[in-house]
Amino acid sequence: MPEPVLRTVSLDAGYRQKIVIGGVSLTLETGKIMTLIGPNGAGKSTILRTIAQELAPISGAAFLDGEDLRRIPRDRRAKSMASLFTDSIRPELMTCREVVQAGRYPYTGHLGIPSEGDLRIVEETLTLVGAEGLADSYFDICSDGQKQLVRLAGVLAQKPRILVLDEPVSYLDIRYKLEVLTILKKLVREEGLAVIMSLHELDLAKRVSDLAVCIGDGKIQRIGTPEECFDKAFLSGLFRMRRDAYDPCFDSLEYGPAEAESPVFPHYINAGGKRLRLGYTTGSCAALAAAGAARRLLLGTWPESVRLVTPAGIPVEVSLEGTEAGEGYALCGVRKDGGDDIDVTDGALIFARVEPNESGKILIEGGEGIGRVTRPGLDRPVGDAAINTVPRRMIEEAVGQAALLAGYEGGLTVTVFVPEGEKLAEKTFNPQLGIEGGISILGTSGIVEPMSTQALVDTIHLSLRQAAAEGNSRVILTPGNLGMEFLTEHGLASRDAGSRQIPVVKCSNFIGEALDEAAFLGFKEVLLAGHIGKLVKLAGGIMNTHSRWADCRTELFTAHAALAGADTALCRKLKDAATSEACLEILREAGLDGPVMESLLADIRKHLRRRAPSLITGALLFSSRTGAAGMTKEAEELLQKWKGSTE
Amino acid sequence: MSRKHFGAAFGLLLFLIPVFLLLNVCSGSVHIPMAEIRQALMGASGTSADIVRGIRLPRALAALLLGGALGLSGYLLQSFFHNPIAGPFILGISSGAKLFVALVLVSALSLSLPPASWTLIGAAFAGALLSMGFILLMARFVNGMSVLIIGGVMIGYICSAITDLVVTFAADADIVNLHNWSRGSFSGITWQNVAVMACVILPVLAVTFLISKPLSAYLLGESHAAGVGVNLRLFRILLVLLSSLLAACVTAFAGPVSFVGVAVPHLVKRLLRTNQPLAMIPACFFGGGLFCLASDLLARTLFAPSELAISAVTAVLGGPVVIAVLLRRKGGGRYA
Repeated sequence: MPEPVLRTVSLDAGYRQKIVIGGVSLTLETGKIMTLIGPNGAGKSTILRTIAQELAPISGAAFLDGEDLRRIPRDRRAKSMASLFTDSIRPELMTCREVVQAGRYPYTGHLGIPSEGDLRIVEETLTLVGAEGLADSYFDICSDGQKQLVRLAGVLAQKPRILVLDEPVSYLDIRYKLEVLTILKKLVREEGLAVIMSLHELDLAKRVSDLAVCIGDGKIQRIGTPEECFDKAFLSGLFRMRRDAYDPCFDSLEYGPAEAESPVFPHYINAGGKRLRLGYTTGSCAALAAAGAARRLLLGTWPESVRLVTPAGIPVEVSLEGTEAGEGYALCGVRKDGGDDIDVTDGALIFARVEPNESGKILIEGGEGIGRVTRPGLDRPVGDAAINTVPRRMIEEAVGQAALLAGYEGGLTVTVFVPEGEKLAEKTFNPQLGIEGGISILGTSGIVEPMSTQALVDTIHLSLRQAAAEGNSRVILTPGNLGMEFLTEHGLASRDAGSRQIPVVKCSNFIGEALDEAAFLGFKEVLLAGHIGKLVKLAGGIMNTHSRWADCRTELFTAHAALAGADTALCRKLKDAATSEACLEILREAGLDGPVMESLLADIRKHLRRRAPSLITGALLFSSRTGAAGMTKEAEELLQKWKGSTE
Repeated sequence: MSRKHFGAAFGLLLFLIPVFLLLNVCSGSVHIPMAEIRQALMGASGTSADIVRGIRLPRALAALLLGGALGLSGYLLQSFFHNPIAGPFILGISSGAKLFVALVLVSALSLSLPPASWTLIGAAFAGALLSMGFILLMARFVNGMSVLIIGGVMIGYICSAITDLVVTFAADADIVNLHNWSRGSFSGITWQNVAVMACVILPVLAVTFLISKPLSAYLLGESHAAGVGVNLRLFRILLVLLSSLLAACVTAFAGPVSFVGVAVPHLVKRLLRTNQPLAMIPACFFGGGLFCLASDLLARTLFAPSELAISAVTAVLGGPVVIAVLLRRKGGGRYA
């Protein structure tokens, strides 16, 4: 098996602490060509310049033969890695031979006088690229194609094991394009050179690359063989083109007419080759409306548009609807946009009414069409309006900013209401959850990531494949944002990608599919970390934990509690509980939480082993109230083992 | 370019330098017969010997050393900015040095203290670094050789204006002296001055020669230099310090001398038919020295007994070279 010569681990690359492209984890083996493709400005050159040590990584690191590149002395690095960037050079009165000779820099003495051996290598390299006839010509008067061949000879004369090339064939005619790439292919095959380069020519990239890395929207979108990566829909999305502009038959890109109208919220994700538009949550709408109304109240005019940066980091800017203001109050609405995720609240108007109050604080209340919490176990205590914690924080922040702007120091009351909320709520899970009278104002990131089932499964597969391609045999699976947060808080994963060692893959509700794929890809150890409300379903062998599929959470708690000796009254109470958190609470009061968890965990182990016999799968369950709720024996062992090996 | 060609080019430079040294010593406002000059150089005493040994010889050596410093400084600056018309005078570095030297001179003279050579060099170095700082700051924000040059010329004008102001308010007795100096002249150089400038310029020349390897990598672009393992930061700092020190030294002793720094590297480059630092560094030094020797000879003899400002001659000789370079660049950069 070829060993990796170059590895980047969660590299965030950019200029002056501004990240252009984040979370770059790549592994380059000897004898391989890795090609970065993506639109202009996506960060291809930034990655290459960071690898070549021209830019310092903002976080993460690049390793040469396992050694941090930043720690390798310049001269030693120059003997292993050579780079060629697009900056044009105009050396005066320098012959092509002298340009190539400049590549021998790391090997010559203090005055840079080349030895016999150096001169021989210079001639050999000139011959290798077929530029021996140019040796005595001045570099300046060569054509662009000849210049590029000579510069390539220059980096080859450096005798590196890794070549870093930025668009090595741009501006060359087809003959030189092919010539340059043929030379690279030959060197890679015959001398075990490793090449990482950026190319704009997709057709050539397809022919020459062993591994293609597709870059867009500030991150790596796909890694794989060109055949795997280059499908029409994906490339069109990557380059932001009309869907049919990339024709795989011709490997060419045709320009179609520009998209007729751009949507109001033009942010996209690529999910399994499909380009889906993002939306924003009811929470974001409420915060935006509150901000608009607060500004009208405190500053006297309606803003033309309101903007906020969601916790996900994506800014949302909207115009206000249904504005109304009077003595001591202002109210307005913001229309929810779920992007390509069509749910019941899509298009609904979320209103906020802002009034001054005496308390000096920002108070948030739920009005018409906002549900009330009637059962314990939810994000909010019983009796509260169903406006979750994150949206509350967003509203406070948005209103606080308006107050700061106006220099207003008194209190404000924000009442969120949705006129059609009560009717909409009938189509949601709210009645079952014990939220009565309206919809909930939710969202932990402020952004809706739309996902069709197939797209979701594809995305999970892709993330797993990517982790496998980086040489991992361990992976952490987590259903969603809550899991990520828990992992981060407990130091098992980190959002600042630099310290992450074991890849974390979000598997949504598709736990069974994710395990199958992980087993297929040859992973050895899998840690499943998730909220108890999701993972308790595994005890019943339910491997798709979406509530549309099956629920059974309280039933499982009830059954295992009965086995642990609970009486009928307690069982009834458990069966009627709204959520898993509530069940846990009830069990804790009855002193049965220990045995019940143990019994549940035993079944979870059984089902996990049955689903993926080739994996060592541990499950870690937590509750958002009390933290860790329990873990299987395997999980304990894995954590022990991983802690030991990553420190 | 063959080894033979190299040898011929260096041979020509090294032959012409003693010739011009001798010519400079022989000619001047006072006619001194050849025989007396020979005697003076052999160590005889008398008025002629005093003129030859006390005035003409140090002046000629100063022209050689300071001219060499200017040529070298110009080459370093052209390499540093990748700009063929950069030079210590055009970029305003000489003018910055001039301003600081004028300030020190005027304050020293008003306190009736004789200013020491080292103090003047120090002041000139500070002024040169200040101008260089401005230019570097500009280079960060604007790209393009003409903008950089215009900025340099502006800094030069501003510094010159302030220098004139300072000179205007100097005591009457000093004005003649200061005025001459601020126009640029090799006159009035003493042996002690020559010793001091040799102590500064020759070590700088040696250090510059030792960085010819990273300089050659730098000529192929910063990206290339970084790629082959040059410590760019350190190298840039060194380049700025060396070129400023050279320009400062010239200004401290001879005032601003224009166009030598820009023109000499181009003339030498044509002569050698290469831009390799290993050859260019010594060649620019010798070439600059020769250029200044010849210019000083013309300045002293053309309208003898009155003497021209050295810049008047160097500008006439060097200016066309710069124009030729600009035209050539425009014309596609082909070299004959």
